[in-house]
Amino acid sequence: MNNCADVIIIGGGVIGCATAYYLAKAGSSVIVLEGSDHIGDGGSSRNGGGVRQSGRDPRELPLAMYGIRNLWPTLSEELEVDCEYHQDGNLRLGKNEKHAQILTGLADRARACGLDVRMIDGDEVRQINPYLSHEVTVASWCPTDGHANPLTTTLGFYKTARKLGVRFITGEKVTSLQMVRSRVRKVVTENNVYEGEKILVAAGLHSREILGSVGIDVPMSQSLLECLVTEAEPHMFDQMLGTAEADFYGHQTKHGSFVFGGSSGLEPFNKDNGTPVTSSLIASCICRGIMKYFPDLADAKIVRTWAGWSDKSADGVPVLGSIDEVPGLYAACAFTGHGFGIAPAVGEQLTKLMLTGSTDVDIASLHYDRFKAKDVIGF
Amino acid sequence: MNKVNDRSRDIGKFIPAEDDGRIICRCEEITKGEIRKAVHEGMFTLTEIRRYLRTGMGLCQGQTCAKLVKSIVAAELHVSPAELEPATSRVPMRPIEMRILGNEAKGGDLNE
Amino acid sequence: MKRYDLIIVGAGPSGLSAAIEAAKRGLKVVVFDENEKPGGQLFKQIHKFFGSKEHKAKIRGFVIGQQLLEEAEAAGVKTVLNATVIGLYQDREVVVKIGEEVRHYKGDSIIIATGAAENMVTFDGWTLPGVIGAGAAQTMMNLHGVKPGEKILMLGSGNVGLVVSFQLMQCGCEVVALVDAAPKVGGYGVHAAKVARMGVPFYLSHTIVRAEGEECVTGVTIAEVDNNFKFIPGTEKHFDVDTICLAVGLSPMSQLLKMAGCDMEDNPRRGGQVPICDSCGRTSLPGVFVAGDVSGIEEASSAMIEGRMAGIAAAEYLGFIEKKELEAELLSLDAALDGLRRGMFAPENRGKNITETEEHIPVSENLLKHGYVTDEEITRFPGFTHAVGVHPVMECTQNIPCNPCQDACPKGCIRIGEKITSLPSVNPESDCIGCGMCVASCSGQAIFLVDETFEDGYASVTIPYEFLPLPAAGTRGTALGRNGQKVCDAEVISVKSVPAYDKTNLLTMKVPVDYADKARFFVQEQV
Repeated sequence: MNNCADVIIIGGGVIGCATAYYLAKAGSSVIVLEGSDHIGDGGSSRNGGGVRQSGRDPRELPLAMYGIRNLWPTLSEELEVDCEYHQDGNLRLGKNEKHAQILTGLADRARACGLDVRMIDGDEVRQINPYLSHEVTVASWCPTDGHANPLTTTLGFYKTARKLGVRFITGEKVTSLQMVRSRVRKVVTENNVYEGEKILVAAGLHSREILGSVGIDVPMSQSLLECLVTEAEPHMFDQMLGTAEADFYGHQTKHGSFVFGGSSGLEPFNKDNGTPVTSSLIASCICRGIMKYFPDLADAKIVRTWAGWSDKSADGVPVLGSIDEVPGLYAACAFTGHGFGIAPAVGEQLTKLMLTGSTDVDIASLHYDRFKAKDVIGF
Repeated sequence: MNKVNDRSRDIGKFIPAEDDGRIICRCEEITKGEIRKAVHEGMFTLTEIRRYLRTGMGLCQGQTCAKLVKSIVAAELHVSPAELEPATSRVPMRPIEMRILGNEAKGGDLNE
Repeated sequence: MKRYDLIIVGAGPSGLSAAIEAAKRGLKVVVFDENEKPGGQLFKQIHKFFGSKEHKAKIRGFVIGQQLLEEAEAAGVKTVLNATVIGLYQDREVVVKIGEEVRHYKGDSIIIATGAAENMVTFDGWTLPGVIGAGAAQTMMNLHGVKPGEKILMLGSGNVGLVVSFQLMQCGCEVVALVDAAPKVGGYGVHAAKVARMGVPFYLSHTIVRAEGEECVTGVTIAEVDNNFKFIPGTEKHFDVDTICLAVGLSPMSQLLKMAGCDMEDNPRRGGQVPICDSCGRTSLPGVFVAGDVSGIEEASSAMIEGRMAGIAAAEYLGFIEKKELEAELLSLDAALDGLRRGMFAPENRGKNITETEEHIPVSENLLKHGYVTDEEITRFPGFTHAVGVHPVMECTQNIPCNPCQDACPKGCIRIGEKITSLPSVNPESDCIGCGMCVASCSGQAIFLVDETFEDGYASVTIPYEFLPLPAAGTRGTALGRNGQKVCDAEVISVKSVPAYDKTNLLTMKVPVDYADKARFFVQEQV
């Protein structure tokens, strides 16, 4: 088999698969190398499925808005798979004055970027979602937000890209990149060497090590986040939910089950055994959180819990775009736990960047070279 | 542990079979034909099949169908079932009500 | 967090055995089981077990369960029921659902003894109500006193399929056929013979085409399969049934180990996904051991030995005993385990075509194909003898690890010898007194007492009989042959039940002397 392609993508998650799809659609030859045994085995299959704009940092908000306007509505048809995309709004919930302040700040900044998001009170929250408890006194409401199924979406991008001729190889762990005549060209794995005109590193936490082999560092830390899912329940609501402190999120899936994630405060310190395993404490904590918001769900049965590593960037937004000092190299990593919703936009815009050198959405503030130390310590 | 697995390798065409309509995963009502088709769409691992179709994601957590799905996928890929890594097992072992999972006993001592 | 020296998950034969050994050596032990009753599968096993007397042979499974519970209690083991271990986490932490709450426990050592779950096969209609696992049928009958159905077809001729078929008939169900896709009976021949002599037809090289019915099972169609397990057209056979029992193997319930990150392997010889472990159950996770079916499907007898080994190994791991003691114990337990794994059904013989016994006697082909030894074949086995006066006839024709019969006879009439798998033979030096202890001791119900000189022109045949109601002396009926077909009229002379028989009644019937070698079961005349 030929180990050369126009583009080598390192990482078979939703970002890698989406980019492979859009590149192949534009006529490029692509090889995707995935270190684990499965496509979409990292955050792509372990997230809460949010496809939202509200609550995002203004630096990545334009990508989210672009994707929701242009890509998500037709994605299921395009990929011939049910992505289970619902655009029924996002409620970001608050219970007290401090929450109200956080939510108002987020909403103000998003509105400045042109997003339709507004503050509502507890009664209006319960008009939208009558199952929410009276503990909820305030929320931001963004009617154009929604959710989708990250498993079928990721595998849908994979399936369609593969059909278009993209070569996917799993179990192929990349150890380093190599320069050839001042451009990055070779991708060395534990078993093989691949060559590409362009190379995209979209390997989650592993990206740091891979980029490091050509002298690029992306400051990120790992955090082990947990989700859980219930058995199928009768249909209750379609909105995506989050909270002011981002410690609880979830939705009801098309299947009827509820997917919820939450944080206990222990995430940056969670221990793993080489694979992302759940801790004995967090699922119980998430359950208590859910029941405060949804007393009606107390009898719903939890059928599965899972954990996934999040690649947290030093400033909370991804590193995205070309690595100017290493010609041919591109990065899409450090998504900090909110990469799924913007994945189609990232894939499409990266394709544009690789093929034309420019993007429709301004991603300049996600540039790899932005990290700076404080000017002065102690003030 | 990881094995190089080229997803472009030729596994032949999907040929419809008489028993494609037979339900294999009872909890999620997934048929043999859906499973076989998914393999031809690139789902080469039991984990991917599960994420793509929901086999083994229902109340019994694959207790009944895991072996059945495995042999179907193996046959489609022309490998022995033992070569396919089973999908991960996850807590809880048995479905558990949210109010119970959320109710952690203090101290953990048994009522003597 | 509450901490124990040893946490055991599963109060079945292996878990309880492990608990007893560990507690006897001073460990503080707790056993969690999700069921409302302890004993695992033991309390469903109403039949007598095979093996040697040192390892509870000829004792009924549920009695073994009671004995283990008593021993465990005496040793100070705490057994918590209705306690579902929902997760095995890092640092040997288990989370257990007990009542309306979950509790966290740490174990300095942990033994996973979760057993196995039933396999399924698919065919058209396999999801209809009425298609059930053989183990489920056993649970219904023997734990809950519920009849699983009236007319039943059994798929699977392994020991589970054979034993459960017999129990279904004890429970009053009609077993219309015993079906297996394999060309040979998979379980012990003596278990097959018990079922065949009651008239159940065996269909080897057959499997289910479809279960019929709209709302539930009302019938089933089977057909013959060729060497590639493909149906042979034109061989379909239909049965009216309300229940289809599947006895098609077990899979280890090893999920807790997998979720905890234990090194696993897929081993078809051990029944599926199993932890990689050494001979006393040490896994790749320090301090975590396994025992019983979870580490490979076997019999309850071997599960109990494995459990003891794991319990002693855990004691050594935590410094309660010296390594020397562990090694000495393992030596004898290893030998016992090795004994159970010998004979025609030993793991190393799985899939092999065995044509003769260890004594170089050709095996009964008919037994493997139809479930019974023919009248001609039986004559070549050493237990089949003629004599003046009452004497035992032992229709044990396969080398299996079982020898209670030789100790059962107070007169020393029966010989097996040192090798536990040898076929029993009659000691011509000793005189049978007709006490029947051998008949009742045979877990395979393969020993009969025959008196060819009972009365002029008549012989008496004493058979093991475990059906209710017991016929009274003088009851007339029909004697059935090994094949379940009528051989002659018969009259009950006596039905003996003494405590030493342990509920195996001895029914003696009178038959014309020509049928003394053929009459092997009794059915009352239909009134």
